[in-house]
Amino acid sequence: MSRRLREMLAHPFWQAALILLAAYLVMAAIGWASAPVPKSVVVQYMLSALAGVLIYVSDNEGRWRRFKEPIHRTMVEPDRRRLRGGLLVLVPVFVGWVTYQQVRPKVSAPAALRSVHPASPVQITFRGKRMDLATLENPLRQSGDLQQHYAAGRRIYYQNCLPCHGDLLDGRGHYAQGFNPTPLPFDGSTIAQLRESFVFWRIAKGGPGLPKEGTPWNSAMPVWEDFLTEDEIWQVIIFLYEQTGLQPRRLGAGEGERHD
Amino acid sequence: MKHVMLSATILTVGLLGSAAGPMAQGGSVTGTVKFSGTPPANPKVDMSDEAACKGKYPTDPVITVTGGNLQNVLVYVKSGLPAGPKVTAPTTPVVVDQEGCLYHPRTLAVMAGQPLEIRNSDPVLHNIKVVAKKNRGFNISQPAKGMKTTRTFTAQEIAIPVACNVHGWMHANLNVFAHPFFAVTGADGSFTLKGLPAGTYEVEAWHEKLGTQTMSVAVPATGSAAATFTFKAGS
Amino acid sequence: MTDRVRAGLRTSCERGRWVPERALVRQWRELDDGAAPAHYSAGRDPPAREPDLRPLCILAFVVVFGVLAVPVAPAQEGAANARGKELYDKWCAECHGETGAGDGAAATHMLPRPRDFTRAVFQIRTTASGELATDDDLRRIIDEGMPGTAMPGWRGRLNAADRDAVIAYLKTFSTFFEGATPQPITLGRAPRGTAEGIAEGRAVFEKLECFKCHGELGRGDGQSAPTLTDDWDQPIHAADLSESWNFNGGSTVQQIYTRLRTGLDGTPMPSFSDAIDANVITDEQLWRVARYVRSLSPEEPPRPRDVIRAAVVARLPAGPEDSAWAMVEPAYVPLVGQIVVKPRWFGPAVTAVWVQALHDGQTLALRLTWHDRSSSPDPAWDEWLGRMRDAMSDGDAPVAAEQGPDRLHVQFPVRWSDDVERPYFLGGSARRPVSLWRWSSDGDMLQEGTSTGLGRFTPAAAGNATHSARYDRGEWALQVSRPLVPADSAAAIPFMPGRAIPIAFFAADGSNGEDDVRGAVSAWYAVYLDVPAPPRVYVAPVVAVLVSAGLGLLVVREAQKQAGRLNRREG
Repeated sequence: MSRRLREMLAHPFWQAALILLAAYLVMAAIGWASAPVPKSVVVQYMLSALAGVLIYVSDNEGRWRRFKEPIHRTMVEPDRRRLRGGLLVLVPVFVGWVTYQQVRPKVSAPAALRSVHPASPVQITFRGKRMDLATLENPLRQSGDLQQHYAAGRRIYYQNCLPCHGDLLDGRGHYAQGFNPTPLPFDGSTIAQLRESFVFWRIAKGGPGLPKEGTPWNSAMPVWEDFLTEDEIWQVIIFLYEQTGLQPRRLGAGEGERHD
Repeated sequence: MKHVMLSATILTVGLLGSAAGPMAQGGSVTGTVKFSGTPPANPKVDMSDEAACKGKYPTDPVITVTGGNLQNVLVYVKSGLPAGPKVTAPTTPVVVDQEGCLYHPRTLAVMAGQPLEIRNSDPVLHNIKVVAKKNRGFNISQPAKGMKTTRTFTAQEIAIPVACNVHGWMHANLNVFAHPFFAVTGADGSFTLKGLPAGTYEVEAWHEKLGTQTMSVAVPATGSAAATFTFKAGS
Repeated sequence: MTDRVRAGLRTSCERGRWVPERALVRQWRELDDGAAPAHYSAGRDPPAREPDLRPLCILAFVVVFGVLAVPVAPAQEGAANARGKELYDKWCAECHGETGAGDGAAATHMLPRPRDFTRAVFQIRTTASGELATDDDLRRIIDEGMPGTAMPGWRGRLNAADRDAVIAYLKTFSTFFEGATPQPITLGRAPRGTAEGIAEGRAVFEKLECFKCHGELGRGDGQSAPTLTDDWDQPIHAADLSESWNFNGGSTVQQIYTRLRTGLDGTPMPSFSDAIDANVITDEQLWRVARYVRSLSPEEPPRPRDVIRAAVVARLPAGPEDSAWAMVEPAYVPLVGQIVVKPRWFGPAVTAVWVQALHDGQTLALRLTWHDRSSSPDPAWDEWLGRMRDAMSDGDAPVAAEQGPDRLHVQFPVRWSDDVERPYFLGGSARRPVSLWRWSSDGDMLQEGTSTGLGRFTPAAAGNATHSARYDRGEWALQVSRPLVPADSAAAIPFMPGRAIPIAFFAADGSNGEDDVRGAVSAWYAVYLDVPAPPRVYVAPVVAVLVSAGLGLLVVREAQKQAGRLNRREG
């Protein structure tokens, strides 16, 4: 048994088959471990692998003859009639199937390009009050007890934001599956890259307040201006940063500084 | 909530011969629970969806009055018990039967540790859900006629709801006592609390719908004190 | 009271005799509506009297004192409990409440409500009905969460030691856990699953009358369903057994079987263990019921896809019950409560709508099916609505007092736009209205028109669509057909094969207190009308097969000829 296996491994035909199989498995592993590899790339890669294998087997006269031998025997020898017949049926069927996959009508979703964090406007009007987002800071960080703001913010979050953004602040609340785009997770690095004034704008104006590149028609984010007061929004922002242990981006010298 | 006027009075303290048996030692409280006036109509029950029980009981007998006597009243010693001999819980079970998609009886009283036997005499599925706070409640099913299940309880707790979720109208109440001085009135409205040491006790009568009445009863060393509770329909 | 019991014990012990009667009698005095402590068990025989039992007395004193002291002095918590409390207060308290009573700030926006730990009644256990949950049971829920509820799994957020600390802490909310070691019941192994097994499972399901609550087809629409409440008097749905991905305790046969054995304490779902003990059914039969229940749901939980395809057929189905629909794969569209505009709705009854689509080049037919436990209005559900009103009115407005009809709305943009911009997904806006098909069970009516936001609907002068609806045992099926090119194209979008048209859905269950704003909504999806396949789709593969087969034969023939010549030359 093992002798036969060794003979097989020494045979150029089986070597070629094994090299091609290994080459394919590498591609499959990449696709499995990270993102799926596009089909066209796989085809191109396999063709190069095939070319390399052919160069290898035809490089030496003896090896080329040995390589061809099993193919030749399959084509002519009477005791291989069954295998020959099988291949003559299976190979054309495979070719037909590949052709069908190429020509059949395909459906793709309508294009929806979306900018996840579009630029904020310079100014917003919150319940009749003008706010300049470039200079706006969270006023509650300068007044009152931070722990109290956090506790109030937590209550507001759980009563209002939880169904979508979730208990774990991972954007996977029990209502998240119903919406597209899915709710923003707070446990990643996203909110650490945002200024609190930007977060205020996103909460206050919700989905409908997005610019066109943010696909405002798809977002399920409510216009919280209709539900929450200015202080309540600032409190919930304090909660988001405290609960996740992240820091908002700051302007100028204070950038990246811890607030407490 | 219950609109019941307390109108109970101790009538007489009679002397009865001391009965035999350990439980009969000491004094007792004997009496009747009365209902004065016209009892309110009981709620109608629609069992038309349940072929096996349909038409058997048109109403839910929450308030059952026979000749002025009120049934299903729990009477028990609420306080005043002195140091006394310990009583082991009886091993004879208290039985509750599910028949015609109602509980019989609907007021149950057991001593902690005493078995409660739940029977199903209906050829349909009943589940028995006990929602207790001081005891462990449970929710078991009896999908066949003749099935029996026995459960015991550990802690004193009054008015534990017992219900069947398959038949939303089925309700009973379970009462667990740490002592043996309790009784539930039958059709004649009578009750006896036996084996009480001499003393003055607070005795309470409790009805699931009509509320509670309490009175102070002086029990002699031997013999019986009589007590009558009278419930009235709410105004 | 604790002082008096302690005093009683002390007096008994000082006499050097174990006289439990004293303690018992002391307790009799305290019987004000069941004030006896939970740890007291009557009926225990006193040990034989010994001359001196002081050490035992001291031990008993310490034990009783310790037990009584716990609720009085919570400051004696260990370090693990301090950590548990810190985490609990940070992550759990807004739902489960600071005292564990399930009454946190978010509780009134949730149905089922968050667990109340003070009663130590747990749904998902491996112990008998009425028993406590084991630490492993609690760990499983905290690790993996509870599908179909707001409870997530905490593995990714808290490490194992922290999760254990939380478990230890939440057990302190109830005295039942003191000194208790709940034991799991013994569960056998599942018998092999067979087709006959599933049929028998169905027969046992019927024998056990599971349909009384869960309905004949398991959609949670049984006759007792509208009367169900949990132990906290909140309305509770009989589970829709065809949506196993929402089963609180998990969807495997083993998990379903365990629920049947243990019951779901705190809910109307009883344990069936006693029925096995009483020989009413066998353990194997209960396994079969579990298998049958599992077979009511798809193998894999459904995944929403962005595009719903409408294939081309020669003849469109005549109605929602036409068998031709059986050939069309339904697309799953999950729906969630409308919590975007006032009044928000946190208790939706409809969880999904399944969409099938076909067209014949002239007309588009959509078949929409959704599970709804009642055909509203239904007087049997008045009781349910009353409870929903009590439970869910803490939103932006009280829940309706009267049952409205059931509703299903299908929404499209009013017209094609060349850029990607669409109307607002939630019923459109004044600037960009949507075209709406509004079906209502009230008179089985389908209205067409435009909408400029949820509840802001303007009916069109004339309709283009025809429809047919039927309700059967917990499911609505609605077929709507509309010519691809509408007669009145000002208010309705023309459907063009080869293009994906945005489509969105809204569903409401009138018996649940829902209307045309309070209901369940979807995001935008798309329906794509297939283009009739060009002939080359069928010709090209055939040609490819013939050519490659011909070439193969040619090569083989040539090789054999050559080999023959060689042989002859050599021979």
